[in-house]
Amino acid sequence: MASRTLSLKKRGFTFEVFMWAFTRFTVIAMYGLILAGILGALSLSAQTGANFGDILYWAFFPNMAENPLGQVWMVILAKLMVIAFVLTACGHGVHGVLEIWDDYVTSENARRWARNIVISYAIVASIIAIYVILSA
Amino acid sequence: MGLKRNVSLSAALGYKGQGPYLTYILHRIGGSALLILFTVYVLALLGVDSMHALLNNWLFQVVFLVFGLFHAINGLRITILDLSPKLIEHFRMAINIEWVAYVLIAGFALFVILRNAFGG
Repeated sequence: MASRTLSLKKRGFTFEVFMWAFTRFTVIAMYGLILAGILGALSLSAQTGANFGDILYWAFFPNMAENPLGQVWMVILAKLMVIAFVLTACGHGVHGVLEIWDDYVTSENARRWARNIVISYAIVASIIAIYVILSA
Repeated sequence: MGLKRNVSLSAALGYKGQGPYLTYILHRIGGSALLILFTVYVLALLGVDSMHALLNNWLFQVVFLVFGLFHAINGLRITILDLSPKLIEHFRMAINIEWVAYVLIAGFALFVILRNAFGG
């Protein structure tokens, strides 16, 4: 099969092109954060003697686990990374859910409502997650 | 596009869809599963005990690892092919490599979960 490529100029900068690029870049950011998170947790585990699994569990559930890291900068960095991961996952997921929805629902009204509901849900869920992670 | 589907999933898998269609449909199932996982995660963060118990359930972990890992690995293949269009000529080989990577990673993850669940 011959490859087909179309420059961004010819595609035009429509909503679909923007969302395609947004989905690709958020997923690359997620892979980067996963890699950095694993390497960071391994490094912190080696430095502090804390269990690798405990560090990851605390990072994602700071309100349910004891903080295994001593230094403040480690705590701030870990929380910022988890928040960044939650936000990129949320942004990536919004487009994915809407793409599936749009494939099976053709009504313009239903599509508009779905967009409003899914985007609102993503914003509310992100705010809750950020609040709990930061305040714990 | 009409809402009526005249081709069943099994018919589509057996016809032209084959491997690429299987990855396409599993990617969507995986994405939907991860949306549920995200919701459970946020509810667990809010302190809903049943959601936290659900996250610790081995069956729940198995289901979400099987679908979630596929979504992540298949997404990596899609991203690589999207950003390097010349590789699209080899997309069937890329899917085969993806399956090998998936079986190895998911197999290891399942082994760890089941070992933790049942001891040994």
